[in-house]
Amino acid sequence: MEDITLRNLWKAQDEKLDRTMKQNLFIIESMQKQKAQSKLNGLARLKLVAVILGVLWALFLGVLIYGNQLRNMYFTISVGMIMLITIAAVIAYIRHIALIKELDYSQSITDTQKKLARLQASTFNNRFILLQTPFYTTWFWSTEMIQASITKFCLIAVPITLLFTILTIWLYKNLTPLKMHKKWVSYLLKNDPEQVPVIQAQKFLNEIEEFKTAC
Amino acid sequence: MIQKDKEDFLTRLQEHKLIIYKICNSYCKNMSDRDDLAQEISYQLWRSFHHFNGSVKFSTWMYRVALNVAITFYRKTRANEAIIQLGEPDTEIEDRKEDSSELEKNKGLLQQFINELKELDKALMILYLEENSYSEMSEILGITETNVATRISRIKDKLKQRFSTINN
Repeated sequence: MEDITLRNLWKAQDEKLDRTMKQNLFIIESMQKQKAQSKLNGLARLKLVAVILGVLWALFLGVLIYGNQLRNMYFTISVGMIMLITIAAVIAYIRHIALIKELDYSQSITDTQKKLARLQASTFNNRFILLQTPFYTTWFWSTEMIQASITKFCLIAVPITLLFTILTIWLYKNLTPLKMHKKWVSYLLKNDPEQVPVIQAQKFLNEIEEFKTAC
Repeated sequence: MIQKDKEDFLTRLQEHKLIIYKICNSYCKNMSDRDDLAQEISYQLWRSFHHFNGSVKFSTWMYRVALNVAITFYRKTRANEAIIQLGEPDTEIEDRKEDSSELEKNKGLLQQFINELKELDKALMILYLEENSYSEMSEILGITETNVATRISRIKDKLKQRFSTINN
């Protein structure tokens, strides 16, 4: 089929489209009002909720540390670490919101779509949040508790913390897009509705790369 | 935005509205989505219009915005596609039943083929059919001219094969 025929077929749609697309593209004022009600898109709104919750959680943890007045070293270190990781997550999410707001649709298609897909896939980059998990098993430790029953502490508390630490590090290392070929990673992510857009974004990023390089 | 800019924008939008319609028709399978996308594209064009400084042709700038919005919209709505298709009849299919001429059949086939392409290939093919030069396509898509040429050639080969299989 010749180029000219293809283009003629394409052009032949004009009249029909003009007839069927009754949409009025020129009602700008009402569109502006409508859009002003939701300045941020869904993705940014979700991240904004996470920022608010994160700030509230970090503040609560700060109050707990302040109230403890360094009386219990285990509590201060554990809660302090959870607070630091929460603050880092809040900063990462604020950065994402800024990126979403700065997004310029008039840049080239591959660049803009890559930025968008990267934002959607950012859950993978935020997996450092997982690293706070072991500290949830240590905040209630105290010198008194250890001294009261050192055997119980060594046989129960320490192995639990060790188990959580190993599991967390292992998940942190494995839960990456590079490991998507592994069945369990794929199964875990595909069965989590929150991860589906992340997987799609990652897939699309690969498609963009392939589109940019394939010759 | 001052009244003069607004008039200028509306005139340009009127001149190029078919581009928007064609993009919407290629990225959406049902009428309500097409209308929503057309609104979204014109809104994003209006929002970005004060950034347009004439360093590129208006059509090049417009293609970038419109295709970026369309791809983003398509990826957002794709998950709901199956449900929407069940609930709403496709008006294009309804229309095709009435048209039996060879031209109408081939028009339908071409549109169907474009609709089936992946989002980036679809953008490339729309730009090609709209008679943009390789250099313009390269600028809009952010890929090299060689890549543009190679990809178009591959898609056209598939298209030819498709037409010959169906018409024979």
